[in-house]
Amino acid sequence: METLHPVTAVDVADALRSASSRGVDVLPVGGRRHLDKGNPGPVDVELWTTQLDGVVSYEPAEMIATVGGGMRIGTLQATLAEGGQEWPVDAPGDATVGGVIAAGASSPRRLRVGAVRDSVLRVEIVTGDGRIVRAGAPTVKQSAGYGITRAIVGSLGTLGVITEVALKVRPLPRARRAVIAEGPGLDLGAGMLAAVPFAAAVLADPGRVVASLEGWPDEIEEQTDAARRVADVIVDDDAGVPVAVESFPDAPILAEASVAPSQLGAVLDGRTTWRAALGVGTAWVGVRDLDELDALRRRATDAGGIAPVIRGVGGLGPAPAAARDVTLRLRAAFDPAGVLSRGRFWGASFH
Amino acid sequence: MADPAAARRALEAALGAENVLADPLALQLYARDASMVAGSAGLVAFPRSTDDAVACVRAASAHGMAIVPRGAGTGLAGGATPVGDPLVVVSSKMRRILEVRTEDRLAWVEPGVPNLDLSNHLASLGWTYAPDPSSQQTSTIGGNVNTNAGGPHCLAYGVTAAHVLALDVVLSDGTVARLGSEGPETGGYDLRGLVVGSEGTLGIVTAVCVRIAPRPPAIRTLLLDFTAVADAAETVSEVIARGVVPAAVEMMDQGITIAAERFAHAGYPIDAAAILLVELEGLASTVDVQSREVESAARSHGVRTIRVATDDAERALIWKGRKSAFGAVAQIAPHYHLHDCVVPRTKLAEVLTGIYAIAERHDLVVTNVFHAGDGNLHPLFSFDLREPGTLERVLAAADEVVRLCVAAGGAISGEHGIGLEKRDFMPLVFSDDDLAAMACVRSAFDPDGRMNPMKVLPDGARCGDFAAARGHDVARVAADLPAGSWI
Repeated sequence: METLHPVTAVDVADALRSASSRGVDVLPVGGRRHLDKGNPGPVDVELWTTQLDGVVSYEPAEMIATVGGGMRIGTLQATLAEGGQEWPVDAPGDATVGGVIAAGASSPRRLRVGAVRDSVLRVEIVTGDGRIVRAGAPTVKQSAGYGITRAIVGSLGTLGVITEVALKVRPLPRARRAVIAEGPGLDLGAGMLAAVPFAAAVLADPGRVVASLEGWPDEIEEQTDAARRVADVIVDDDAGVPVAVESFPDAPILAEASVAPSQLGAVLDGRTTWRAALGVGTAWVGVRDLDELDALRRRATDAGGIAPVIRGVGGLGPAPAAARDVTLRLRAAFDPAGVLSRGRFWGASFH
Repeated sequence: MADPAAARRALEAALGAENVLADPLALQLYARDASMVAGSAGLVAFPRSTDDAVACVRAASAHGMAIVPRGAGTGLAGGATPVGDPLVVVSSKMRRILEVRTEDRLAWVEPGVPNLDLSNHLASLGWTYAPDPSSQQTSTIGGNVNTNAGGPHCLAYGVTAAHVLALDVVLSDGTVARLGSEGPETGGYDLRGLVVGSEGTLGIVTAVCVRIAPRPPAIRTLLLDFTAVADAAETVSEVIARGVVPAAVEMMDQGITIAAERFAHAGYPIDAAAILLVELEGLASTVDVQSREVESAARSHGVRTIRVATDDAERALIWKGRKSAFGAVAQIAPHYHLHDCVVPRTKLAEVLTGIYAIAERHDLVVTNVFHAGDGNLHPLFSFDLREPGTLERVLAAADEVVRLCVAAGGAISGEHGIGLEKRDFMPLVFSDDDLAAMACVRSAFDPDGRMNPMKVLPDGARCGDFAAARGHDVARVAADLPAGSWI
């Protein structure tokens, strides 16, 4: 297998044009932290984005940072911290911006900070046949043309290689705190969610609940008081926010279930290794093998949701039924030779 | 060949004669939206259900008509203006709030529900739907979805795209697809995200699942007045630099403040060069600390007075002036042309100066009321179309405003969309390949170009230029995939 290390979008375009004309399969690779999602098959060429790692522009007063798609999350957050800001994802420091976007890896703090797709203002991608395409604008809002930025988020490298992005960033909270209560997580958590306004996250485990608070110091005290009214809590001002893909390191397979929030209980019932984001509907579930994964997926499907694997084997899960033709035509238009991220798709067999 | 008479018969049979209009008055009524461009409608239909909307698509397809989906017609870019006698599909008979599920933080609504009706209904339950375009009394959720509408409160909470979980869409082939889901993520590409902001060119939205949130426990509205526009603009940047993101930051210049005050009697200082309305939301302690930061930032930029609304009635009054501003300008002149572009927040003062110069050059009255926190400008030119040559001056000024915003590093639309009015400006900010990629998105949904033709993309933007000309086809890609799979 060959590896490519482009340093500009034009390099990427040259490489992909050539790959498309020769029918060579290419896998775009960033920090390899979200690569299990969609379990890409073996390829001829890995295209490493990690040299596309510059800061194009960063103006704290605009709350926008434009950076290369291969920039490491740790480097980005350090840069933003100098401006008192953050890009609200909680990914491993060696993951790349483009990887987080391609995987659609939203923060466990999504309840307050929103989804990753809503923080991407502009993308520059190189399509499978080597066209450089930009969509969106480097402004905090825009309504000009189609939302290609949103379609790129979670597209797993099948529509193009992300070479540059403009990100909507936010002020770093002045203070953070974890408020922890022991007991049945979903039940305690439901009370906490109702009682504590503007929590960044209410994360339930089988035996406890952790509310992540962030903001101004007075705000956190007010939230803590609210939490104390519904549960016996302890506080931890040094606890970080968990990183989704690093959850349950001993579990061979980590799935990320996604259902309407009220369905979390039905999906998780009887399981022992999980953490659920209440009010959001995401649950990270550790499973031992593919049979357990199948059982989890059936429950997620019954609840109207999905459960792709984000670490280990097991793929994404069944193909969605809606608008299949539209999806195929999109893929064909952006990667006519079908050389990008082969095998990384919904409905793929992985056994 | 288009056969409107046959389409009419088919639709009358499917929807009932009372839900199909073809008389000249109706066709004229639906020949335009709130923009300056008039078109021509061939037939008007009022579906009451998704099935009815499917019947509309089938009838149009069978009888060679294009389709223009439409909500309340408050759009300012001509997105709902029919071109070439198409079937106009109006959502006004689909205006039920289907369900509100607070445990799932969502509500399902039909597309014709006015934004404010949903907001009021949720408020009675202690919940909110964040997007609040100024047109919210009239404009519909379906229209808001199609323009990716904003509003003052999108500064803190994001535009419509961030608040739409799922959509039921009738596609151009007459099939119905649920795009997105009630959960946070969906398998496959984010087709929901493509339909949001697509101005009716990708399908007919027949149901919308929106994200709702509990109403914040504390809200405070401040009115700041300045003797220089630049001071107001710099205050906005400084507030952000201090790490405060208010729920809303709106700016009004002197001209609009005077007009709004005459109309709303909100107690606005009419001798101010600019006023800022700042709304803070959150916990009581958050609002206190943010209020101190805002006041301190304003003082460092020479604020003259700071008025804090002391109760809900005063808050409502302060907002009434802002939200009725576009109506209030009728006092200045009978007609107006409202623009929508976005510039970097730090360029606000500079671009406003440029806009005043453009107005002066073209002998037009310009007033400004806009979402300062987002850098989303809404310069409003007032004029009397009965004066010869006025329209030419207005359009020339419009052209210069768009170019000024683009030169400042901005976007050609913040929340109104492209429609007909701005499609020829698209090449100012997008390359041929960018536009071809957009055309590919469009043709992926609507290969025959039946949905709202002529809108959004300039003439000449074709997906074929991008890919198809080089010999690929869907079958080739599909053949690579196992049966039932989804890229």
